[in-house]
Amino acid sequence: MADEKKKPETDPAVFFTDWMKSAIDFWGSMAAPSADGTESRTDDAEQPKNAAWKARKSWESSAKVFQSLMSSMAEPDAMDAAAKSAGMVPDFVMDMAQQTMDAWTTFNREWMERASRIGQQSKAYSFENIDQEIFKTFREIYEKEFQKYLKIPSLGLTRFQLERFNRYLDKLTLYQTALSELLQMFYIPMEKSMAAMQEKIEKMAENGELHDDIQGYYRTWIKVLEGHYMTLLKSPEYTQVMTNAIDALVQYKKAREEMLSDIIGQLPVPTQKEMDELYKDIYLMKKQIKSLSRKLDACGEGKGEGT
Amino acid sequence: MTQSKIAVDLILKKLAESTEKTQDRARKASEVLLGDLDTDLATTPYEVVYQEDRVKLKYYRAPEPGGTTPLLVVYALINRETMLDLQPGRSVVQTFLDRGLDIYMIDWGYPTRKDQYLTIDDHVNDYMDNAVDFIRKTRGLDKINLMGICMGGAFSVIYSALHPDKIQNLVTTVTPSNFDTDKGLLHIWMKQTSADRMAECYRNMPGDLMNLGFLLLNPARLIIDKYVGFLENMDNRTFVENFIRMEKWIFDSPDVPGATFRQFIEDCYRKNLLIQSKLEVGGRRVDLKKLTMPLLNIYGRYDHLVPPEACDKLTSAVGSRDTEDLCLDTGHIGIYVSSKFQREFAPKIVQWLREREPAASRPKTDRKGRAAASKKPAASKGKGKKSKKKSAVASEQQQAG
Repeated sequence: MADEKKKPETDPAVFFTDWMKSAIDFWGSMAAPSADGTESRTDDAEQPKNAAWKARKSWESSAKVFQSLMSSMAEPDAMDAAAKSAGMVPDFVMDMAQQTMDAWTTFNREWMERASRIGQQSKAYSFENIDQEIFKTFREIYEKEFQKYLKIPSLGLTRFQLERFNRYLDKLTLYQTALSELLQMFYIPMEKSMAAMQEKIEKMAENGELHDDIQGYYRTWIKVLEGHYMTLLKSPEYTQVMTNAIDALVQYKKAREEMLSDIIGQLPVPTQKEMDELYKDIYLMKKQIKSLSRKLDACGEGKGEGT
Repeated sequence: MTQSKIAVDLILKKLAESTEKTQDRARKASEVLLGDLDTDLATTPYEVVYQEDRVKLKYYRAPEPGGTTPLLVVYALINRETMLDLQPGRSVVQTFLDRGLDIYMIDWGYPTRKDQYLTIDDHVNDYMDNAVDFIRKTRGLDKINLMGICMGGAFSVIYSALHPDKIQNLVTTVTPSNFDTDKGLLHIWMKQTSADRMAECYRNMPGDLMNLGFLLLNPARLIIDKYVGFLENMDNRTFVENFIRMEKWIFDSPDVPGATFRQFIEDCYRKNLLIQSKLEVGGRRVDLKKLTMPLLNIYGRYDHLVPPEACDKLTSAVGSRDTEDLCLDTGHIGIYVSSKFQREFAPKIVQWLREREPAASRPKTDRKGRAAASKKPAASKGKGKKSKKKSAVASEQQQAG
């Protein structure tokens, strides 16, 4: 008890000694799986070399290694060295934390700078005309500020798979933007026809010419709507937006197929690419057979005529 | 603002008044929709007499053959040939048969991914040519009559120019041959579309995607008004049955083989090679001057898919001296399914073919006991080109007269 009083409980050396003792006891008991803590009673040679037996032996072996390790660490010299090292840990941790924090702050500062540039970027576009410009703006912001992150060269064994996944995300974003733009444009005639109908109804009401039949309003509206759609669908702007959406869809679908090929490639099924190659072979062979068959028939007819 | 409120009040009042009527319609509609509906398409009996891969040759036998050379009908790769036999009383096939015309019809089937490499050459110089040879052989004929519809019409034009020795008369209906026009939205859009990319992406062009494109040609009518019309008439069994038949036909869209789609868009829509006799199919140039058989070219004045401007240049581009343009006052589909044009379109074709029938096989009277076909000989040679252009109205007046 007197010795215990000499060293306070907060002393790392005391704590370390106690912990090491309990660890040795623990791994010692784990290394002896039988209830009485002794080695296996049966002769190993007599045991069938099945999976359970191998697992038990492996566990016993690992536990013994841990026990030995703990015992050697419990030697007085090793304990002193460990206690001294423990005293140095806070300095090391502090240095590491400081460096991490610096890196994080720098990273955040760069992101904030980038974010502020995004704000400047958006000012270049007319947000007054938000319906027409917002998709263009988003796409340009995405292409200039975010797309580059998906194009960072990938490293390591799975670099090609990662690249394909990033390309898929990139094309998906572009496709969704293009599709939203197309849908927004497609909705314009709806808005315009509603506004036109409102004006018409107001004028009809002023002149006391309101229909008492709801069908009349519907027929007028559908005619106006059709007119607006005809104007929109023929416009070069719509054609361009539609073409962009189709192009984006095609690229997205291609990127998705490439990414999925990586997954399907792991399964015991042929990929679309492999099947396409096979189909092409079959197509070319059939064509060749048909051609040869025709030549054969022609030869036969020629012989028939000759006789 | 006060005025607008009045309008709303009136509308609501009218709505309230029609509630009873609406309830009655809903009750009848549920009886109709839950009852047995006859919505079958293509019920005229036929037999499949030849098949190659997925492509079948259907044969419709006339109950009382009129002695006319059989007619091979080639439909487009888009949608299906069942449109010609939509329902009893609205069937082009039935009208032909009733007038003693034996019909063969190509059913292109449903292309799958393995068909993606099939080109126009494969369709025209293999499937079509083999079908024509089969009919010639089984019927013991040197030549047969050919009728093409829409894209199938373009195939028929190509075929007739490449194999003029096998075709006696050619009938083209709503067939695009001149693609250099801005009249139809399809022509505008297709010029901007990258067929290469589409084909690379989809392999075969999906029928559903093309249908979406067709719906977008007139969204107000085809996506909204059409179904409003259905809601208003869904208590009418006959209307519902006809409507469902059309829906079944419209959305029964096989995919188009990628290589054919690509070639059709690039060479026809974008480069307009067919009408210039510059199109190459299977390594051979499609020279329209070699299309020397009589040609009847029918199209719709209000066709929004293949406008008259896309059709009416054909007769002047071919080498035939016996050509006729017939412009009907209807749209792309109306020619085949409208009751009014059923009475004009199919009988006109039978009559036109019969007038050009070789004397030996020409019947004296048709099964309905009407006057025999005119004694007009087959295309006379060396007497200059005789081309007629008629509108439907003019045609109707002529018939009435």
